[in-house]
Amino acid sequence: MLGNFLISGFRMLLRQRGYTFLNIAGLSLGIAVFVFIFLYIQSEVRYDRYWSDYDRVYRVSTEFSLDGKVENAAMTPFRLAEELQQVFPGSILTTNTLFTDPSDVNDVYSLIYKNEVYEVPDVTIGDSMLFRIFDYEFIEGNRETALIKPNSMVISSEVAKKIFGSEPALGKELKTSIRAYTVTGVFSKQCTPSHFVFDAVVSVSTLSEKVLATHRNDWFRLSWYTYFKIADTVVTATLDKRINNYTSEKISAFIKENGLQIQGYTLFKTEPITEVHYNTSLAYDSPSNIDKSYLRIFGIIAIFILLTASINYINLATARSLKRAREIGVRKVLGAFKKQLMLQYMSESFILTFIAFILALSMVELLMPQFNALVGKDLTLVSSLFSKDGILFGSLLILLIFLLSIVSGSFPAFILSALRPVSVLKGNNEIVGKSWKSNFSAARLRKLLVSIQFFVSFGMIVSTLIIYQQMNFLKEHYLGFNQKGVVVINVPQDTTYWHRAPDFLTALRASSLVKAVSAPVSLPGYTHGKRVFYVGDTNTAVLKTISTYAVDYEFFKLFDIPLVDGRFFSPELKDDTTSNLIINQAAVEYLDLDTAIGTKFTMPQEISGEVIGVVKDFNYSSLHKKVEPLVIFLLPKRSKYILVKIDEENEDEALAHISKTWKTFNKDYYLHSTFLNQKLESQYSGDLKMLSLFIYFSLFVIFISGLGLYGLSSFLIEQRSKEIGIRRVLGGSERQITFMLARNYLTLVLISGLIATPLVYFLMNNWMNTFAYRITINGWDFALGILLTLSIAFVTVFIRSFKIVRQSPSLSLRY
Amino acid sequence: MIITEGLTKVFDAEDAETVALKNVNLKVEKGDFITIMGPSGCGKTTLLNILGMIDDADSGNYSFLGQEVSRLSEREKTGLRKRNIGFVFQNFNLIDELTVWENIELPLVYLGWKKQARKQRVNELMDQLQISHRKNLFPVQLSGGQQQRVAVARAIVANPSLLLADEPTGNLDSMHGEEVMNLLNDLNKNGTTIVMVTHSQRDATFSRRIIHLFDGQIINENINKLL
Repeated sequence: MLGNFLISGFRMLLRQRGYTFLNIAGLSLGIAVFVFIFLYIQSEVRYDRYWSDYDRVYRVSTEFSLDGKVENAAMTPFRLAEELQQVFPGSILTTNTLFTDPSDVNDVYSLIYKNEVYEVPDVTIGDSMLFRIFDYEFIEGNRETALIKPNSMVISSEVAKKIFGSEPALGKELKTSIRAYTVTGVFSKQCTPSHFVFDAVVSVSTLSEKVLATHRNDWFRLSWYTYFKIADTVVTATLDKRINNYTSEKISAFIKENGLQIQGYTLFKTEPITEVHYNTSLAYDSPSNIDKSYLRIFGIIAIFILLTASINYINLATARSLKRAREIGVRKVLGAFKKQLMLQYMSESFILTFIAFILALSMVELLMPQFNALVGKDLTLVSSLFSKDGILFGSLLILLIFLLSIVSGSFPAFILSALRPVSVLKGNNEIVGKSWKSNFSAARLRKLLVSIQFFVSFGMIVSTLIIYQQMNFLKEHYLGFNQKGVVVINVPQDTTYWHRAPDFLTALRASSLVKAVSAPVSLPGYTHGKRVFYVGDTNTAVLKTISTYAVDYEFFKLFDIPLVDGRFFSPELKDDTTSNLIINQAAVEYLDLDTAIGTKFTMPQEISGEVIGVVKDFNYSSLHKKVEPLVIFLLPKRSKYILVKIDEENEDEALAHISKTWKTFNKDYYLHSTFLNQKLESQYSGDLKMLSLFIYFSLFVIFISGLGLYGLSSFLIEQRSKEIGIRRVLGGSERQITFMLARNYLTLVLISGLIATPLVYFLMNNWMNTFAYRITINGWDFALGILLTLSIAFVTVFIRSFKIVRQSPSLSLRY
Repeated sequence: MIITEGLTKVFDAEDAETVALKNVNLKVEKGDFITIMGPSGCGKTTLLNILGMIDDADSGNYSFLGQEVSRLSEREKTGLRKRNIGFVFQNFNLIDELTVWENIELPLVYLGWKKQARKQRVNELMDQLQISHRKNLFPVQLSGGQQQRVAVARAIVANPSLLLADEPTGNLDSMHGEEVMNLLNDLNKNGTTIVMVTHSQRDATFSRRIIHLFDGQIINENINKLL
């Protein structure tokens, strides 16, 4: 019997090609987008779930407050890892790795092998426990011993392939200009997404005893990431308490020993490694971390998209129920039970959904490269199906086919099978009596469902408008310094370079295409440090934690940062390098200084200085944050970066000059440069990625809704063709009748828009509050959203009604 | 086979009541061929629908094969109908998505016949009605007369004891109409009871009894003396 259902269902779909096309197109698009979102979310929740016993691996972060302001950083002091062994004796593995700025994409190591220079992006320093916690597959070497000896280096298989090709890497020597490393291991990074990314690790024993001692002895030098794996016998609920009970004593002792006058606290916090990827609240954390709420939003959008597609099916099917009523009547008269009829409609719905699924999966496979480019990932459908949780994905797809078939098919099945044969077999289209009621409620249901679609479309249109404006605002916002035409070059961090640096800078300046050159340690958009200061005269000094910058003489000039008070650093005055500093307006305000010039800043155990100038605030962090207080030192001889401001009109020639000069002075190093503008924009790359995803998803929702509305209105208008004919004969104009047909939908748009407005306002306002600099949400955005939704509805209905309204009434009135 | 006593049916419209049937008493014996005649709106089709159990009377009794229909559930009525009653409509009511063969097969599907048995029965009947060469065509590819032959085949495929025909020649020209009536006549001769509604005097001549309805009541009943 099922065969018979499927046959007639199949032929019905073939015969009504337009209807079938609309349904399948809408459904398959909806499913395709759903699968994309699913794959994306799946890839995001897989972070750090590949380490063995990952549920017992934790990362430690530090919360500290010295002046009432609470700060949170992903880093800890070096000695914490060792101390943790004392807190949980015998039941813990700990490791720590040195902080290397994860947001500095140009911070690349140059390694020399057989006189060729190779670049390795992320190099960190770690101890021998690293690969026992992050247990990457080892292709060469021994994970337990690889990082014990000094000058050992473990590299990823990609790096090994790049440098050594197919030769084994183990035991080979890689040089930098000051040191030679031995490759002691090769690991594979495949299929192990993690917040913590590195391409090579140098053993911590490589560091000189002197350097290690400064790290080991200081509880306040936060520059190491600490991870630990704990035995399952340890109660994890009290981890933080046990750690802090132990460390607080140690820290107090340290303060006392060193005669520090510090008030405030330092707390260590642990978090499961699987949660790190969703933590965006810590300073110095992985830039790939994302806010979980984005994933939730995408999840909701995915469900909305499926809902929209199902609504299309329900609406089209119930609207068509009148057309199919005769068939139902006949089947009933011939002895079909209600259940059998319902089964028949379900099977039709199943066929449609199944075809839509096949199409959707093909679409996903086809568009995967574009989607990967959009989200910056390397997803494949096949790998998702055959991965560790592939069974989950596969069964979800199958479940979805059934769920969609049932949701989409059950209502039409219910309505249609409830029709009474006696009323439909007379050959006319009117259905009277009991079934009139079901027809009536079907119309009401359709209205409700269409309203939901308008609600979602409107919400997504307005949100997109607002997000777009905010992103544009960030782009256009003047940051308080002129970043135009500034090229940032990363310089090698070794002593041989420092000797060449002055000549190199002079050579750079020699060209007329170069307007200015500066060699600072800090610059906007990059990570900067924080220091603890005593501010004021010795007797009344207060302790403050303030961000610090180290720059050279040219820095302010190159960026056009104006002076508000005092003077800039000057090469003529020797004191400037040792004891003078410049602060920004935010610092003046924060420290509540009447006269900033001459204010003393003292750093415990280090130099002290006096303010000689105040500069106007400039946004040295992203616009997510307000400009914070800043203390700027002069450090003319050392730098991490070289900034070259070039003549933008002759960009290519200027870049060629930089590259040529670089090669002359630094032949063992790759030139790593970027335009500062691009780097600053990349601060919002996460937001931009979300925005573009959001825009695409909105377009899909709107398109699928439009498709459904088009189908629905065509059926309803066709049904009214006789009425339209009569109205035309009685003198109704085309415009009047078109408006009459569209009016119902337009009212629904208005109502859904009104209901959605407060919700959208609330959600968008919350999102914008994550920016210190933001636009205000404008009533016009909502008005424009309504207008756009109205236009979409009107145009969709109009396309269809146009033909029927224009046709001669004699055609529709013939029967 | 059929006994009705005091059958009454009223249609409620918004502001008026229409009495479709009033106190109809009818007796149909096995092997009968009855024609119901009368002007439009007199209640002929309503009566036929109630006899076919696709509509219910508001009051009165209807006994079919000894069972009181008003006491049956919808499911029981469906069961009783599909085993015993075949329908022929004026507008044929074939299902457009199914071929001629599949249309005829449909009642057997709902009766739960096995596939092999269905195949045998449908082929045999199509041979008998000389429509085998059209088995793979769809209804829209057939003329009106051909469609009605298929509809009749579908109505009798399950060997119903009662055939209800609602203006079976209403949409046909006289030649095709006569063909269909001959077919019904043959069926009746072979023992199928037929109740037919028609406007056509000619068609009525094929039946044994003619009942005249007017405003929902039986006003007279004739025995066909020509037979």
